[in-house]
Amino acid sequence: MPETEFQVNGTLIWYYYICKRQVWLMAHALGPDQEDNNLYQGRTIHEFSYQRDKKEINLGNIKIDLVRSEKGRLIIGEIKKSSKFLTSATRQLQFYLWQIEQMGIAACGELFIPEEKQRIEVILDEEARLELETATKKIIDIVEKAAPPPAQKIKWCKPCAYAEFCWA
Amino acid sequence: MKKAIYVFNEGKFKRKDNTLYFETEQGKRYIPVEDINEIHVYGEVDLNKRFLEFLTQKEIILHFYNNYGYYSGSYYPREHLNSGYMTLHQAEHYLDEQRRLMLAKLFVQGASANMLEVLKYYHNRGKDLTRALQSIGNLIDRIDESVSVEVLMAVEGNIRDAYYSAFNTIIDKSDFLFEGRNRRPPRDRINALISFGNTMTYTACLSEIYRTHLDPRISYLHTTNFRRFSLNLDIAEIFKPILVDRIIFYLLARNMLRSTHFENKMGGILLNDKGRQVFVNEWEKRLRTTIKHRDIGHEVSYRRLIRLELYKLEKHLIGEKLYKAYVSRW
Repeated sequence: MPETEFQVNGTLIWYYYICKRQVWLMAHALGPDQEDNNLYQGRTIHEFSYQRDKKEINLGNIKIDLVRSEKGRLIIGEIKKSSKFLTSATRQLQFYLWQIEQMGIAACGELFIPEEKQRIEVILDEEARLELETATKKIIDIVEKAAPPPAQKIKWCKPCAYAEFCWA
Repeated sequence: MKKAIYVFNEGKFKRKDNTLYFETEQGKRYIPVEDINEIHVYGEVDLNKRFLEFLTQKEIILHFYNNYGYYSGSYYPREHLNSGYMTLHQAEHYLDEQRRLMLAKLFVQGASANMLEVLKYYHNRGKDLTRALQSIGNLIDRIDESVSVEVLMAVEGNIRDAYYSAFNTIIDKSDFLFEGRNRRPPRDRINALISFGNTMTYTACLSEIYRTHLDPRISYLHTTNFRRFSLNLDIAEIFKPILVDRIIFYLLARNMLRSTHFENKMGGILLNDKGRQVFVNEWEKRLRTTIKHRDIGHEVSYRRLIRLELYKLEKHLIGEKLYKAYVSRW
């Protein structure tokens, strides 16, 4: 038996490119303030967009927002509130594509941003595979630490649902 | 910010599709479920399982009080925030006597500092509170010297006595003479107000704990073993002086509460329905009042301050940052 059953998931990849402290907190099930306005908005958008599609598909340790078939292509979709965190969103979706690839399924990826009426295609290339491999290793390193990385003020702190926890 | 709802009359709680409503003989009152996070029930109500399941789904906590306004219990929905990591650290700090004592001291220090702030405010406004200020000042040194939680509890009792001894000077009304703290039943009107207000603080703290990863059953100053919820009692110590006592002084100074708001019951004196409403209105107003928080960088309400206190405790438990209680600067 391994000491932890910990597995890197898409949410942690997303956080990894925004704030390492969030990675640690999320991995220890210390979720952010559930009443936070941004969080609430995100949840609502998620719930009320693309109601005709298959949503929330669980595949092993990953949870895919949306699966759609267009012109014989399988599309794996990730729904986002805005295009503000494009790097994070792209890496998260690439992570899903990478995981699916390992299961032997071929699919295309698209970011869905309903509020901006945008769809952005995401592809998994060699660069992304290498990057994700490194990120996964680094996430495990962060999570295995006894305490979270100290809070640091960055530009994302202002709208963050962890802000009051970090700065209290 | 989500609201608390208070129910004083008789009626039925119901769920209709995705809304809640309260039905009385006078009619129906709809309660927007997304807007509330707690319901306080003083009146006689009927409710069913469907209603409770809906509350669970919406993570709404329901607090019940009996006819005399005493807390009788809460419908505490299934935990929605679980972190084994946090629970282990919370228990670890209880089981290790030194760590438990340290946290208990920090709570008593915070509570005492807030009592001092309340007294200083009135002292600076012409009430001679020199004696109480001095005795509390002397007793505060003994907090740190306490070798066990039991000794600490006794010191805390002495501090509270010295603090309460100043109440008659502050209030200065013949209808509201305070004869020292007593409860169950309270023997005078001030005791009735303190008991009522303290209960409000306990339930407010419990509601906030529900929104964190902390387990309300594990506390440090109060003993964990003998009751269901106790962490809320620890946290409430910090806030009782700045919330409850300040409200009491405020309402009495403006004659918003009079002797007609009380009644004799059960061989004691209790607030009547009208009195409770006056208190609850002011209570809600207070909890929504915001103050500028220096570390957070924006305005926070008093209700939010309770949450921040819990965040600080969480950070203490996981070894991130030493807990330091909130001390009012008025």
